[in-house]
Amino acid sequence: MRDKAIATAFKQLRKSNWLLNGVVGMLLLLGVLFVYSACYVGDETEIRPLYLRQLLWIAVGLVCYIGFALTDYRHLKRFEWGIYGGCLCLLIVVLFCGRTIYGAKRWLMLFGELGIQPSELAKLGTIVLLAGRLSEPARQLHRPVELLQVLALVALPAGLIMLQPDLGTAMVFLPTAMVLMFVAGVPLRYVGGLVGIGAALVGFVLAALFLPAVLGAGEATQERIASLSGLSDYQRGRIEVFFYPEKDPLGAGWNKRQSEIAVGSGGLKGKGYLRGTQNILGFLPRSVAPTDFIFSVVAEEKGFVGSVTVLVLFGLLIGCGVWAGLLTLDPLARLLCAGIASLIFFHVFINVAMTIGLMPITGLPLPLLSYGGSFMIVMMSALGIIQSVYIRSDRRETYR
Amino acid sequence: MSTRERAESVRFRIRLLLVAMLLAFGFLAVHLWQVQVLRASEFSSSLDRQSIRRVRLPGIRGRIFDRNGTCLADNRPQYCLAIYTEELRQRGRWSRTVDKVDEVIDEMALVLGIPRQVTREDIQMHVQRRLPLPFLVWRGLDERALARWAENDRVFVGVDIYVEPERVYPLGLSAAHVIGYVGRADAVNTEDNPYHYYLPEMEGKGGVEKTADKRLRGRAGGRLIRVDASGFKYEEKGEREPVPGEDVILTLDMDIQAMAETVLINKPGAVVVMDPRNGDVLALASAPAFDVSALGSQTAWQAVLDDPGRPLINRAIAGQYPPGSVFKPLVALTALVSGRVTPATEVSCPGYITVGNKPFRCWSRRGHGTLAMRKALEQSCNPYFIDIALRTEYKRIYHMAASIGFGLPTGIELDGEAPGLLPDDEWKRRERRDAWRPGDTANVAIGQGALLVTPLQMVMFTSALANGGTIYRPRLLRGKGGTDGDFVKRMAWTPAQLAVVRGGMHDVVHAEQGTGKRVRLDGVEMAAKTGTAQYGNGLKHAWVILYAPYEAPRYAVVMMMENAVSGGITVAPKLRELMQMLLVRDGTLVAPPSIPAEMDLDVIEGEADA
Repeated sequence: MRDKAIATAFKQLRKSNWLLNGVVGMLLLLGVLFVYSACYVGDETEIRPLYLRQLLWIAVGLVCYIGFALTDYRHLKRFEWGIYGGCLCLLIVVLFCGRTIYGAKRWLMLFGELGIQPSELAKLGTIVLLAGRLSEPARQLHRPVELLQVLALVALPAGLIMLQPDLGTAMVFLPTAMVLMFVAGVPLRYVGGLVGIGAALVGFVLAALFLPAVLGAGEATQERIASLSGLSDYQRGRIEVFFYPEKDPLGAGWNKRQSEIAVGSGGLKGKGYLRGTQNILGFLPRSVAPTDFIFSVVAEEKGFVGSVTVLVLFGLLIGCGVWAGLLTLDPLARLLCAGIASLIFFHVFINVAMTIGLMPITGLPLPLLSYGGSFMIVMMSALGIIQSVYIRSDRRETYR
Repeated sequence: MSTRERAESVRFRIRLLLVAMLLAFGFLAVHLWQVQVLRASEFSSSLDRQSIRRVRLPGIRGRIFDRNGTCLADNRPQYCLAIYTEELRQRGRWSRTVDKVDEVIDEMALVLGIPRQVTREDIQMHVQRRLPLPFLVWRGLDERALARWAENDRVFVGVDIYVEPERVYPLGLSAAHVIGYVGRADAVNTEDNPYHYYLPEMEGKGGVEKTADKRLRGRAGGRLIRVDASGFKYEEKGEREPVPGEDVILTLDMDIQAMAETVLINKPGAVVVMDPRNGDVLALASAPAFDVSALGSQTAWQAVLDDPGRPLINRAIAGQYPPGSVFKPLVALTALVSGRVTPATEVSCPGYITVGNKPFRCWSRRGHGTLAMRKALEQSCNPYFIDIALRTEYKRIYHMAASIGFGLPTGIELDGEAPGLLPDDEWKRRERRDAWRPGDTANVAIGQGALLVTPLQMVMFTSALANGGTIYRPRLLRGKGGTDGDFVKRMAWTPAQLAVVRGGMHDVVHAEQGTGKRVRLDGVEMAAKTGTAQYGNGLKHAWVILYAPYEAPRYAVVMMMENAVSGGITVAPKLRELMQMLLVRDGTLVAPPSIPAEMDLDVIEGEADA
């Protein structure tokens, strides 16, 4: 009996998408190598063995990956509310008991120094719930009420995360939800309208921050109007230096500037592995180099060739996800794949764009490469779900 | 819409989504190409700008030697202890690193048994301003401290011996005015200073150290270091060795210099010895002197500045004095050149001469009777020189003095040289609101009035008398090879005219009643002229100019002493002492069997010349 279960598991795994397995493996390997490179010169002894802890997270991640691949993704539908509700609970708990790091309550410490970030779990939890709801055949997706329900389900976790405050993570919920609606078949006018509302919000914030100064209003007036944007000083600083990099080169503008220098000075072929000057000399701060700015380390040490290789690998990863969604005939599977692929896409795009100065600095990690436990586990689980879809994509019975 | 159609539409939407995502990645790739390939050099230079620091390394200063190779200014290694801050770096706030350095210095002070030389403020200053450079916490360690350090150097991490050159003057006081001294150069803080850390070199602040500063300094080198984000040194990228400065050889002969200083015995005055054959300054002494090596502290400086003897003034070049009778040979020569006076022209001296309605007294109250030029020089007769000066007319005396170089700096390689003062009608109208009168001519004829000269100008003139009329610029720096002097001009003096003046000066020394008889030395013929100039309330400056040997002069000497009795009495015996040492040294004389006869002070009265 047990032997039979193991044999089935192997059979299923053999049917998995080996391109996806290969790409995941390569990205994980690159991640370990460059987390090591980002930390090996530091004086801080607790940062130096970070790559070993990354290996630990990868091991846990692989268990989740295989576990979700072997599990039928349709079981998720049964637990969608439980998962979603659990995530919300954790997000509420973290607001009270979380540990504050860099000015935000993100971490929920479980065993001593080992903590989780509920906001990362909520990303996947929300996708699972939305995919489940949007794929129910009885849904009348052209009815505005349905849309408002979906928006409310997104706004709840996003709002809680904003309270931490972690604007970057909160912001990633909205485009992911819109992609899900788009793929689910929500009429384009609604999706377009949502995009319009989002753009208007961004426009309002930017106007509040910069318009008074452009119009020549006094300091006090500027300050009062800027506070209408609802952003903290820290967040405003990041947005301001994005538009005016010369404003605060040693403070809020430091990371952006140093990351750009790291990427730019990498050149075509890079300075060589473990030879990233920006990183060795500590201009790229060691606290962010292995996490949010791991791409800068790769780009500096491996140059344009290395950064494009990483982009190609992520392109393949997303391609595999979308491919699984195209193969399957199950609407739930399709939405899961599309949601997960877009989640990966937005992280990669925003992360890379911020390291080369195309977007303001947001605390979004690069999937599979950045150091970090919660996001690693969430990403590996999500990719496991894609494999689960892929393995079961030839089943006829799901098609009605 | 059927389920199938809906599925198809969903598939289409998924494909559209994939295309959009890949296009977005393509956009990123294009931007990466721009940043990493097209603008790579721009970002590389930004990187270098923020992480590379240029440190200026001064060259080692050249040494100064006298003509015999005696070292006058040298560099001695000064042992310092330096802390390399990057090795004591502490995590976290800056103040923690400062605390650590502070702590290490305290421990070191305890172990070495010497008091701290740097304060906490110094540490902070270093950390803020010149972090990647070694921080010198003790300078000038003595052997005891060094030995203690050698026993304990393993205890301290990030501390090492650092050798810094220190300027030393092995001869101390001797020729202090000529050699000068150095100080730390001011760091250049202009826009074109390409260095992040400017280590200043020593800069000459006086004497030859100052005038030959360019040659002595050499060329600074530089070092490139890479620093990390906190500003600590990470690695050295390259170094351009500094070029050491040239050594400078002076014309001075330190033996002669020492003799000159010996006879001055630190009383206000000056001695200049020049080689009349080429203008080389063999000795240039000014008293009182100062000791450069002792001027380390601010209080020592202040003491020197407040000294009423004004030891910082180089009296040989910056002291301006009325010459008195030592000016008379010039008046005599001018008179002969003008043709209005011949060597045989006789003047009667009744002890005074009246010019306008004012009587000018001769120093001999009885008068010298009737005398001609050679005798007049020997006796330094005032009425004679006033008489021939009036006959010659002042403008001729003025032009002669000016063409010799009076009234202008000689151009010796020292700064702070005074021009003296050669008055004329224009000067008098400007300064005194009065016309030039015969009385003024009479005053200048005997080296008084407004006339002021420096001892250096006087020696230049004495040289010309000695060498037959060639003016050489007094020279302190030896050129590269070549011992020819800096020829300035030849005076239009005929040998016959010169012979009269030189003969008179010979008699000053060798005649029975010569005013300079106290200079006389057995075994050598010399020519001299004494002078005593009054200034203020009966105070007198005393002079002797001299050249020797008489026939083929190798030395032209001027000695001047402030607040003296007279040239013949105060200066001449000292000058005799100097000449004896000088001539014994070069073999002209044999060492005297006994000390010179003691001065007979009773005869002073009648012999004090005016």
